[in-house]
Amino acid sequence: MKDSSNNRHALVISKDYPQANFTWILSLALAAIFLWNSFPTKTDGLNPFVFALFCAYTLTSILQLFITRKIKKDLLHAGEIHKTTRRLGYFQLASLLTGNIFAAAFAFNLINKRKTPEYTFAVYTLLTQLAVIAISSVNLFKPYVSDTFLIAMGSLLLIALFHLVALILTVHYVREYSAPRWMSVLAVVLMATAVTGNLFALLLGWSLFMKSRRFDSSRLSKWNVMWEKITRNSTAVLGMFFILLMLTISITSRFTFDYALAVENNYSAILQAPSLVYPFGTDNFGRDVFSRIVFGARISLLVGFASTILPGLIGGFLGAIAGYYSNRIDNWIMRLLDILYSIPGILLAIAIIAAFGANTVNLIIALSVGGIPTYARTMRANVLMVSNYDFVDSAKALGASDFSILFKQVVPNSLAPMIVKSTLTIGGAVIATSSLSYLGLGVEPHIPEWGNILKVGSTYLESNSYLAIFPGLAIILLVLSFNFLGDGLRDALDPKLD
Amino acid sequence: MAYTITSLLQKSYKEAQGKTVVQVLLVLAGLPVHLVIYFIYLIRKKDQTRDTVLNDIRVELSDKQLSDQWHSDYVDQLVRKRTFFQENVSDKEIHEVAEKLVEERKKEEITRRTDDHLNQSGIQRTTYSVYFQSLLERRHFLLYTLLPGVLMYAILLLISNPFLTYIAERLIQSVLVIIGVAILVFTILYISPFDPASNILGESATQEQITAFNQLHGLDLSYWQQLWNALKGIATFDLGSSFAGNEDVATSIANKFPVTLTIALFSVIMAVVIAIPVGILSATRPNSFLDYSFMFIALIGLSIPNFWQGLIFILNFSIKLNWLPATYSPSNHLSMIMPVVVLGTALTASIARMMRSSLLEIIHEDYIITARAKGLSKSQMLWKHAVGNAMIPVITVIGLLFGGMLGGAAVTEKVFNIRGIGSYIVDKQFIPDIPAIMGGVVYIAITISLVNLLIDILYAFLDPRIRSKINQS
Repeated sequence: MKDSSNNRHALVISKDYPQANFTWILSLALAAIFLWNSFPTKTDGLNPFVFALFCAYTLTSILQLFITRKIKKDLLHAGEIHKTTRRLGYFQLASLLTGNIFAAAFAFNLINKRKTPEYTFAVYTLLTQLAVIAISSVNLFKPYVSDTFLIAMGSLLLIALFHLVALILTVHYVREYSAPRWMSVLAVVLMATAVTGNLFALLLGWSLFMKSRRFDSSRLSKWNVMWEKITRNSTAVLGMFFILLMLTISITSRFTFDYALAVENNYSAILQAPSLVYPFGTDNFGRDVFSRIVFGARISLLVGFASTILPGLIGGFLGAIAGYYSNRIDNWIMRLLDILYSIPGILLAIAIIAAFGANTVNLIIALSVGGIPTYARTMRANVLMVSNYDFVDSAKALGASDFSILFKQVVPNSLAPMIVKSTLTIGGAVIATSSLSYLGLGVEPHIPEWGNILKVGSTYLESNSYLAIFPGLAIILLVLSFNFLGDGLRDALDPKLD
Repeated sequence: MAYTITSLLQKSYKEAQGKTVVQVLLVLAGLPVHLVIYFIYLIRKKDQTRDTVLNDIRVELSDKQLSDQWHSDYVDQLVRKRTFFQENVSDKEIHEVAEKLVEERKKEEITRRTDDHLNQSGIQRTTYSVYFQSLLERRHFLLYTLLPGVLMYAILLLISNPFLTYIAERLIQSVLVIIGVAILVFTILYISPFDPASNILGESATQEQITAFNQLHGLDLSYWQQLWNALKGIATFDLGSSFAGNEDVATSIANKFPVTLTIALFSVIMAVVIAIPVGILSATRPNSFLDYSFMFIALIGLSIPNFWQGLIFILNFSIKLNWLPATYSPSNHLSMIMPVVVLGTALTASIARMMRSSLLEIIHEDYIITARAKGLSKSQMLWKHAVGNAMIPVITVIGLLFGGMLGGAAVTEKVFNIRGIGSYIVDKQFIPDIPAIMGGVVYIAITISLVNLLIDILYAFLDPRIRSKINQS
């Protein structure tokens, strides 16, 4: 009796079981979406390509359901997952071929029993690299590619191969608190490959570097625990994966995608339906929507990050001063910020853009101004709390100046909620960017930006609805990723949940 | 009755003495009364006793021995401080500082001893405020000064009641914020590099035409004059005519505002009706399949851009299925469904998430465990103790998000072709039509401030924690 209750506990705390459930449900949902879309409404025929995808995803989810059952049985009977069940993960890896990232990520997770943060990083480094290659290779069907396409694809493939080697080495040699000394060379090279935008490689490299150089164990354990908490939440890691994938694509697209396809008019291919050459079709000027969406990621990320970091810095500074210094300063700063706070962000942005014109820089400024009070409030609340801690008193007793206490002791210790807040608000900034562009108040209309693409799509809603659907999906995916990551970070960094 | 009023006034006047702002306000509000009374006070002032006592004590303290004693004490302290912190201070400086400290202490000591002495002998020091307080006791005084001092008495009555004070403070705060908003928006539009005159009249406009246009709309005045006109216009609902089309801005806003407000209100109702039960269901079954699905859907709801959701709704429900009209018309109630759902989606998602986390937090509070230990059933505990308390932060959030919703309405209104205030502002921004944009933004800000003010005041009555906090302060 005691044994079975222990095993039930094992089921509850298991990381693999909920992820397994999540994966089969999601795969099945995707399969259903493919099935729905394999029967176009206008023509009677069946879309063979989409239907094949439906079959593949259904197979994946059946296999996944089987694995899930087995995991549950193993956990209830033995309290741990059996080796043969873990082997099934190798079969599930095949789902990578159909582009089912969720199943692939789960399979990688299942195969390895001992999960160091490095293993997760290495897996996602490889997955990101492969996804970038897959998306870029869509260009092979185009009538022409950019001049740098072959070189860029070649180096991306080489890097992917290197990441695979790094993954295998990580599985074999890296332990909880140590790694062989020679790995620091590998680590440096890995960090160098992060220039493609694949920041998982940077994380992996830095983590390996710390371990191979034998950094002190308290620092290592802090690092391990933090990432353990974040990676435990599979949706948070998937969110991070999609964000970094978009980042990598927006950097590598400079070399693998042809910008001309996205901006130059091609009247011989107007309003084409999705096909292999134009995966998401073409718009009313014959521009390739897929390329436009890929290039649009750049703007969305740029505006999203800039309009989060800028008010984060300004608001954080003001909030820190308001929270630390006298009541009078606090009152003045916060009352003035109340004025900004009482105008809804979008409305303020519209007013600022009305005054200074619509372009990307003004858009960033407009969105930033509205964000200042929120960050100031968050920072102020934290500074108020942290400045009561003992280490602040001891810094005071040591004779440190107010300014240095504030920015060396208090602010670094109140950053965690700021990071969570900003991750959660980047998504809002991405939505605001595309909303304003849709209204004609954001990015200039000729620049490929998701809101601009949607604006064109909205006029062809009846005849060419795909023009409006795909950019919207891109927005949702990016925003959802930020929200998932933000939720995960909040759960991991919130001291209340410790 | 009159007696109670006089004592109430007297008491609140006494309490006001600690607060500089209130004191200044009281003096300003009752300036005529105060001027006359102060004059009388100066004439009647015969504070001889105090002066003699003061002199006695001053002589007493000028004793050399005592000040020498203090001086050496201070020097001793300062020298210790110097050695401890290893400061680089000369003996001369230390002596100077000690000298200063002695002087200060002497002054303090004199006033302290004088007051002590007078208190002991039962003589109260007659200052102006004490004199005024004594006057307030008399009913006749009140009657005589009622007319010139009515403002001051109103303030005194206000501060005698903590609730009224709180409401008044919040009201003043809101008014200040609204003025600030108006100044901010006007300034942004004023420093705009665009020239509305040339935008409307076209490039071929002559200099005379432009001057005439600027004169007509008061654009040739100085910044302060224009700002004053704008503020006055907002307060009196007279914003002049818009630059393009020459329509009365206040009337157009008054016509468009109800449309936006109706849709926003229905969205809030929809959000509350859906989100609260969802949040409660999720929180009572944490980490279950139901909980995960609800929260997943909520997160998707947060991540969908309004305009995309609107387009997809139109595509499916209007174009493909032909169930609902694609554009809004006030006469057709069915046409309101899609805008309301689109506008309310993000709000619904936020409230559901907030309700869940708030209720989860409450359920783990000690008093809930106590309630369970008392033998209450789970549903009794939930409905009697948990849900009500969990609603408190949720209602605040609803108030705050309502503002964001009014701001975001512009996008939804554009998608469904609704002639609301949001799309009005967007239409006017290309010129830029300063009075129209300004009026739209400021009136929305006023609405939001009023809603939040109302929620705050409601809390002051409903939430016992805030009530006790107000009473204490």
